[in-house]
Amino acid sequence: MPKIYPDYINVTVPPNIAPLHFHIDQDADEYVTRFAVGSEEWLCGGRDVRPGVKTWRDITAAAAAADGRITVEVYMQHQGQWLRPLPFEITVSSDSIDPYISYRLISPSYVTYEDLTLNQRCLETFDETLIYGNMINSDEANGQCINCHHTQWYNPQRLQFHVRQYLGGTVISYDGKTEKVNLKTDSTLSAGVYPTWHPSKPWIVYSTNMTGQSFHTRDPQKIEVQDTKSNLIFYDLEHNEVTPITRDTTWLDCFPFWSPDGRYVYYVSAHWERLDTTALDFELIQNYKAVQYNLYRIPFDEQTRTFGPRQLMYDAVARNRSVTLPRISPDGRWLMFTEARFGVFHIWHSDADLYLLDLARAEPQEEVVHAIITHVPNPADPNEPMMFQRARVDSIRECLGALVPLPENVMPADSLNSHDCESYHSWSSNGSWVVFSSRRVDGNFTRPFIAHHDGNGHFTKPFELPQDDPQFHREFLRSYNIPEFMSGPVTITPQEFATVVKRDATPATLKMR
Amino acid sequence: MSKKTSSPNTSAPAATVRRGIGVNKASLPSSTMLWLVAVAIAIAVMGWLLVSRETELLLRAQELNLWLPTHLFWTGRMAYPGGLASWLGCYLTQFFYYPWLGTAIMCAMWLAVCAMLVWVYRLRGPWVALTLLLPLALLACLTQTGYWLYYQKLQGHLMVPTVGVLFASVALVVQRGIYAILPAKSARWAGLGWTAVVCVAGYPFFGAWALGATLLVAALPTPQPAGGEDVAAASVMKGMAVRLVIALLLFAVVPQIYYQRIFEMTQRNCLYYAALPSLRYGPDSFERYRIAYYAIILSFAVLAGLSLADATSYGRRVKPWVRLLATIALLVVAGFGVRAAWYSDPNFQKELAMNRAIEECDWERALTYARDGSSGVAPTRQIVLYKNLALFRLGRAGDEMFQYPEGATQQNAPWRVRMTQVGGKLIYYHYGKENFCYRWCMEDGVEFGWRAETLKFMVRTSLLNHEWTVARKYLNLLKQTTFHRRWAERYEPLLVNHDAFDLAKLEASVSEGRPLLNEEQQREFAPIMHMMTYPDRLDGDNTLVEMYLLQTFANGNGDDLLFQEMTLICALIMKDIDLFWPRFMRYATLNPKKNMPRYYQEAAYLYGHLENKVDISRMPFEQSVRDTYDRFMQFNAQCGMMTEEQKAVAFRPQFGDTFYYFYFLVRNQKTN
Repeated sequence: MPKIYPDYINVTVPPNIAPLHFHIDQDADEYVTRFAVGSEEWLCGGRDVRPGVKTWRDITAAAAAADGRITVEVYMQHQGQWLRPLPFEITVSSDSIDPYISYRLISPSYVTYEDLTLNQRCLETFDETLIYGNMINSDEANGQCINCHHTQWYNPQRLQFHVRQYLGGTVISYDGKTEKVNLKTDSTLSAGVYPTWHPSKPWIVYSTNMTGQSFHTRDPQKIEVQDTKSNLIFYDLEHNEVTPITRDTTWLDCFPFWSPDGRYVYYVSAHWERLDTTALDFELIQNYKAVQYNLYRIPFDEQTRTFGPRQLMYDAVARNRSVTLPRISPDGRWLMFTEARFGVFHIWHSDADLYLLDLARAEPQEEVVHAIITHVPNPADPNEPMMFQRARVDSIRECLGALVPLPENVMPADSLNSHDCESYHSWSSNGSWVVFSSRRVDGNFTRPFIAHHDGNGHFTKPFELPQDDPQFHREFLRSYNIPEFMSGPVTITPQEFATVVKRDATPATLKMR
Repeated sequence: MSKKTSSPNTSAPAATVRRGIGVNKASLPSSTMLWLVAVAIAIAVMGWLLVSRETELLLRAQELNLWLPTHLFWTGRMAYPGGLASWLGCYLTQFFYYPWLGTAIMCAMWLAVCAMLVWVYRLRGPWVALTLLLPLALLACLTQTGYWLYYQKLQGHLMVPTVGVLFASVALVVQRGIYAILPAKSARWAGLGWTAVVCVAGYPFFGAWALGATLLVAALPTPQPAGGEDVAAASVMKGMAVRLVIALLLFAVVPQIYYQRIFEMTQRNCLYYAALPSLRYGPDSFERYRIAYYAIILSFAVLAGLSLADATSYGRRVKPWVRLLATIALLVVAGFGVRAAWYSDPNFQKELAMNRAIEECDWERALTYARDGSSGVAPTRQIVLYKNLALFRLGRAGDEMFQYPEGATQQNAPWRVRMTQVGGKLIYYHYGKENFCYRWCMEDGVEFGWRAETLKFMVRTSLLNHEWTVARKYLNLLKQTTFHRRWAERYEPLLVNHDAFDLAKLEASVSEGRPLLNEEQQREFAPIMHMMTYPDRLDGDNTLVEMYLLQTFANGNGDDLLFQEMTLICALIMKDIDLFWPRFMRYATLNPKKNMPRYYQEAAYLYGHLENKVDISRMPFEQSVRDTYDRFMQFNAQCGMMTEEQKAVAFRPQFGDTFYYFYFLVRNQKTN
């Protein structure tokens, strides 16, 4: 096979995807690439293989009319001799993909955030436009962070994102009306953070988080992002009311996701109690590997707008693992989550992988509250440094966790996973595609990958988001955050959003239920 | 024909003057050429001054700059108004890789500006020399830079003013050309059209420089209509007023239209400052740095004013000696202005020079700079850290670290300079804190734009962290630059030399006589790998490089001799007796063959006397250590009534190079 970047060898793509431009990573004097469908063929010259939108449409249309397979042959001439590595195939699926994705572009920095943008990309072409960029309302004195964009059921007319610090608030656009609200109340930890829209009603469940980050001194994973406290709140957009859902300070509740039928909110939660007298955040930092999240859900009653008691859906802690980012396929069958050894912010964990929970075979489990053991002293050495005592706990956990098998209804999404981190993921509206973040290319910069889902929990080999310049991602020094599908583009301009952001935020009222 | 051939004589009857006010279309008189030669010589002198005095600044400027011949780099600049000015600024700044080359290019651009303005404004005689006002203002913009070098967010900022002025001059040349070539009536309309083009087409590329150019172009007098001089002048002034009103309208409206349609990442109230240096840090704005930019405006105003004045009978009557004197006076004032603006700080220069020496692993040279106390100014903590690093890498810290000037002078900038943003990354890199070096590179890249220096650090920290793919990513970017390609090619083979970054394998290869790294690479990387022999933990430096290093090393412990010596040095600097003893003992155990360095002995001897926790009676202290201690204590008894400050002065000649002095009399070294 030829060495190409991005790796599009034997991938399955939607019929309406942008051309799969690629770069040949082998030195030669001349290159010719042949795309063939049956007896039809298209030739591209050059090391950058860029058939362009129109030709690509012809190729995919021909493939769709035939058996869906495009054969790609790369010919390389080197010192007068032509070489032809084995051809590869690109399969065109009959399942189309939502035409747009949105994402945040951010340098993988830690405390600085110039040039943060929420972007939308047409998947059918290479067109990328801005939804909102922070520099339109930032200057040297007043920095602004933007994050956590989310649409209601793929609808770009129903969008929310947060603006932090300068001119802070939550911007919510709902059927043409755009407002900025302040979701922080006296009885909640913070303003809304990680959102999930109800599938149809103007309701959003958020986590509220007190978040901090610390820096690894040696580990190439660089940072650890931790919540010292986190709860869930319910926000009623119509009445501008916030209602706390969970308030237990010994549980860290995060990353809610509303099931497609609206009956449950799935989320992850870690048990953490302050064990000694040091500051809570310092204690958490020291014991960061002991913070592990399970998957839960709470039932929701649409009539009363109340939530029931929580139910454990997957005990990852028993396996010495930690889950985050539950996302359910539109048919309600599959829940995809990210799992790693510890923590909740898995984009910085190279061991993070994607898993599937088959909800058709999932029942609430009896809850087991795992004891928090942060260190085990060495009886032979009372002065042993704490670092070694903590390491001992890690080894014990590792051994015990290995004894607990993966539940039958949980499976790793092997064909999506790599040696490096896979994290945020989102299902297409027809459930046939997932887009997810991965750092597999270089370990530092997150890129979106797309893979086909057959409806039964099986995925094809993922492919990197196509770019007009195939080497674009090699030069690009920003990461893609939160790639989410949309049924069309957001039509509100960045300038219009900027005007809304400049206004005072309307404070939400607290309503206890 | 007469309509097309203006008289070179400025006192010619107005009726014969047709191509603008006081226009001479004939070739330049020889006196003007002579004045232009004088201007060229003056510019060459300015260039020589710049290269001779600011070599280190120019070299660092190009390290803190990045220009890539890629579409992505271009679109990144063009996302903001004035993107081309910044793009060109970055492109030209890279030539300071050879300071003389960058300066020569800049001087050539300045000379071109002067020559164009002589033609545009029809300057004659001594007035020609006044075009030097612009190069002088541009020189001031550059030489006032100081610590803005690290904090300026406008990429290519050293060259952007020159690019902007050059653009404005070219715009004026075109306008003058229109007036010279087209018939008067057409010229007026074409001139108006060009004014609009400069604004509408120039703004996205040159930002505020295009707005300024719009006003300059509008203010250029049109061809004079036939009639008496007064009537003609009135008509010209009326035309100019109309154009200026239109230009002002364009000035106000065009950026707003671009804001609505194109530039989605620019704050509305910054539209009129686009492609100008921000000269703000945090909430503070530093007005005095704007003076050089006002001087550019003033220079254009002076030249335009002289041009207008020469067109009037009053202006033409000014005697040549008055012109000469006025010219000299203005240039002298401008010269003093440049001198006043020129940032001159011995510590700044020393930091730059030491930084370069350390980058080249020329530790002795770094120490030569550190030793130089000729300025009489106490060093910054940055310099002290550089010095300690150099001594450490030479293995002489324990014997020499207190023999150099000590100090904690704040960096000479009107805001609080953070070491993380100046030399902290280099310090972290060499002390094996690769993640922290990488982290601050990333933060700086985001805040101030990507720089060659940042990418070089990211390549090397990624190699040391065994992150080969991302190291290649940064290396490939550097390979696309004009001047850093060679650096990238030098490091490229290391991407596949993975064993070289495994300390055990590296040392084995050296002992087998088949080293995995060449001598230069061995000198750079091997000591860093020794410093990386500590377990991972979560931490944070709160932007305080020195405090972080002191605390993290002083509380560290390891089996590596080099690492362990660093823990001892930091315990020593922190004057922490409890931390000192275990590190001292361990160092002595790990280092049984080598003599114990002087300052470690002094510290042990002193602490042994201060506290009786450790029995020092059987330790083999050198006699000089004991003698110095005794003399110090005797002198202290003699100076019993002195304050600490007085003692610090009195003790320095005899004991300034001892640990005893450092322990008792060096205090409050506030770090940044």
